[in-house]
Amino acid sequence: MNAVRIAWRVTRLNFRAQLEYRTEFLMMIAVGAIWQVSVLVFATVLLTRFTGMGGWNSSDVLLIPATRMLAHGLFVLVLGRIHALGRFIQEGVIDTYLVRPMPVHRQVQLQFFPTNAIGDLTVAAGLMVGAIARSDLDWTAGRITYLVAAVFGGMLLEAALFTVVACASLRFPAADYWGRWLEELLGTFGSYPLNVLPRAVGGLLTFGLPLAFVAYFPAAVLTGHGHDTGVPYWLAAASPLIGLLAYLAARLLWKWSLNHYTGVNG
Amino acid sequence: MTVLPPAWRVGRVTPLGELHTPPRMTAALLRLAVQIVLVASLWHGLYAAAGTTAGLDRDQAVSYAVLAVLASRLREIDQYAARDTVIQHMHFGTIVYWYLRPMPPQRYYALRALGEQLYGLAWSLAGYLVCLAAGVVQPPASAAVAGVFALSMLFGQWVLYYVMLVIDQLCFWTLRNGAALLILIFAQNLLSGVYAPLWFFPDWFITLSSFLPFQATLSVPLSLYVGRIPLSDAAFQLSVQAGWIVVLALFTRFLWRRAARRVISQGG
Repeated sequence: MNAVRIAWRVTRLNFRAQLEYRTEFLMMIAVGAIWQVSVLVFATVLLTRFTGMGGWNSSDVLLIPATRMLAHGLFVLVLGRIHALGRFIQEGVIDTYLVRPMPVHRQVQLQFFPTNAIGDLTVAAGLMVGAIARSDLDWTAGRITYLVAAVFGGMLLEAALFTVVACASLRFPAADYWGRWLEELLGTFGSYPLNVLPRAVGGLLTFGLPLAFVAYFPAAVLTGHGHDTGVPYWLAAASPLIGLLAYLAARLLWKWSLNHYTGVNG
Repeated sequence: MTVLPPAWRVGRVTPLGELHTPPRMTAALLRLAVQIVLVASLWHGLYAAAGTTAGLDRDQAVSYAVLAVLASRLREIDQYAARDTVIQHMHFGTIVYWYLRPMPPQRYYALRALGEQLYGLAWSLAGYLVCLAAGVVQPPASAAVAGVFALSMLFGQWVLYYVMLVIDQLCFWTLRNGAALLILIFAQNLLSGVYAPLWFFPDWFITLSSFLPFQATLSVPLSLYVGRIPLSDAAFQLSVQAGWIVVLALFTRFLWRRAARRVISQGG
């Protein structure tokens, strides 16, 4: 309970610190919104020009970027500082974390308040409302519960992927480079049905880099395309659980990697 | 021991830095290869059930998208890791050293960028030849198209250099400007056609981008290459690119002069 209170107080202080530069604060909100809009623009351009993408109608497809963007916005808000770990290592900040009486992971997350998450979440929530309003699906309690679970599962899966990159950064600081690519890949290929891609490439984005589990599979299950995803239905339906398991596994890897971390002072 | 001219020594900093970090080079190679496969697969998949769209057929769209990936390699060096970006120098106060060296900062900046772009060009050219041999990218329709594309690409990179320079020069006026930089980089990617060819966007968007310098960096040369802009329009497009080079050169020169007044050495 004490840990939660401290985390909350630090977050409030971080938020006030962000308010120190008002223009920067507002522009950071715009950055989050623009990043999401750029992903949305790409998806919309493809949807408009190539209707009936992968056998999905446009209302169903819209649920994919909506789920992914909401999951991404929550990731940025709650666990996104792990993305900046490479910089913390390079600047030696991580070494000071090791001697403080608080878990390193929590200190990383409390490093600063992610103002851009406000913009991220605003656009994503707007898109989700639009996607649900346009959808012909019957939004039963079961479907809504699954959608909520899918968003949190997507958030955890994204966090798991960035945590793995962070673990690599603890050993090779240049691995930070992979984080930016990962973000780009998630934005570019995570927002439409992956069955438009050749089977091998779709397989790569399912089992190599599991971005299909972030939004594509949950949306397929919700919209009745769950049997056409190229993987067993139960696997596609288990996406939220896979996100949770992946995150737990990533945190174990984080613990192991941190125990083997060697700073410049040895 | 051979003494290298200062310009050469500055220009080769980036290539040498990259050559001394093999993991980064391996990552760059893998990233480029995977990105090309993914992008080519995506556009092939999208065109599987569609004919010519927005004036581009399948081969043109795939060539455009793959060339955009290759072109993005030209200035995709991780400068941040080398701690030699203007924003980092402003943050740590080390920008003053740019003004204490026997080489003017604008010349240092230009040479570093030139080294970077030549290093990136080697990657892009190698990737282009592999893609051409593999049939992923269509060859230019004629020698004239190839020539015009090469000239337009050179102009495009020149414009891109100035656009990135303006973004960096902004750091002299704003203490915290990470957000502004990110917004400008998004604008550059979106309005130059990196995310998707501009031809797929609505008409108002294409009209808007024609008044901005961003499309001159990538969209124009690639459209010339794939034949979406005919050779008969090339002279006009090249002159627009040249116009942007002149305007941005004068503007950045003015900004360098103003920026120098803001740098204080050793307490004034």
